Amino acid sequence: MKPQDENKEGIGGMINPRRYGIERVAYLLMRLSGLGLLAYFIGHIYETSSILKGQVGWNEFLDLTQTNEGHALLAIVIAMCVFHTVNGIRVMLGHGGVGVGKPSRPDYPYDPASQNMKHKIGIYSAIVLAAIAMMYGLAVMYGE
Amino acid sequence: MRESTIMKIHYGTALGAVALVAVHILMRLTQSFAESLEYTNVIANYQFLPYAGMLEIILILLSIHGFNGLRVILLELKQGPRYEKAVSYGCVAAMMGLIAYGSRTIIMVNMGML
Repeated sequence: MKPQDENKEGIGGMINPRRYGIERVAYLLMRLSGLGLLAYFIGHIYETSSILKGQVGWNEFLDLTQTNEGHALLAIVIAMCVFHTVNGIRVMLGHGGVGVGKPSRPDYPYDPASQNMKHKIGIYSAIVLAAIAMMYGLAVMYGE
Repeated sequence: MRESTIMKIHYGTALGAVALVAVHILMRLTQSFAESLEYTNVIANYQFLPYAGMLEIILILLSIHGFNGLRVILLELKQGPRYEKAVSYGCVAAMMGLIAYGSRTIIMVNMGML
């Protein structure tokens, strides 16, 4: 029997940011930033446990993070954190019915009321704020 | 547990974590960034009980939020009774492991067991 195409694209379909506009990009960035932040959080818990090795152990581990690469990584974490927070609040408001428009009969060209300008502005704001926070974070880390 | 209840917990932990992580980051800005990470300063932070309590709450909130987020992503990719059960129990186990490991650091440093 010929196998049926179940139209499952798997991870490839999940990470494809095209076809559905900025909302799809936000969906992808939300998941990438979430996974990145979880990885950082686990690393941070492990990193801070080095304090149990005393001052020498703490300073040794701190030296690994106080490098240009360490600062660049932390700047990316700051950007992911701000994007995830701002976009997360937008998603929460949307789930609560805020800013998604009134329900109406679906007529051609079937523009979804929920994918409106308010939410698009929310997504772009999250990206801009993440970039600003990243710059601020770098300024703080380099002591300017 | 119903998914709607889990999502309420997901959003609740997110809002709680945002507020507390903001305080945690602001503590790094009370002095210069490098100075705030000096060994004596970090020990003093851990031994200040309200701050240690806040770190413990952040640890619990972020572990619940993070591993539930991972569970949601994994369940979006693939479905099936056995797979869903394995992912859910795996995420709960990982969450509890991380909370236990982080709590160990907080408790030991707070009690001066160095």
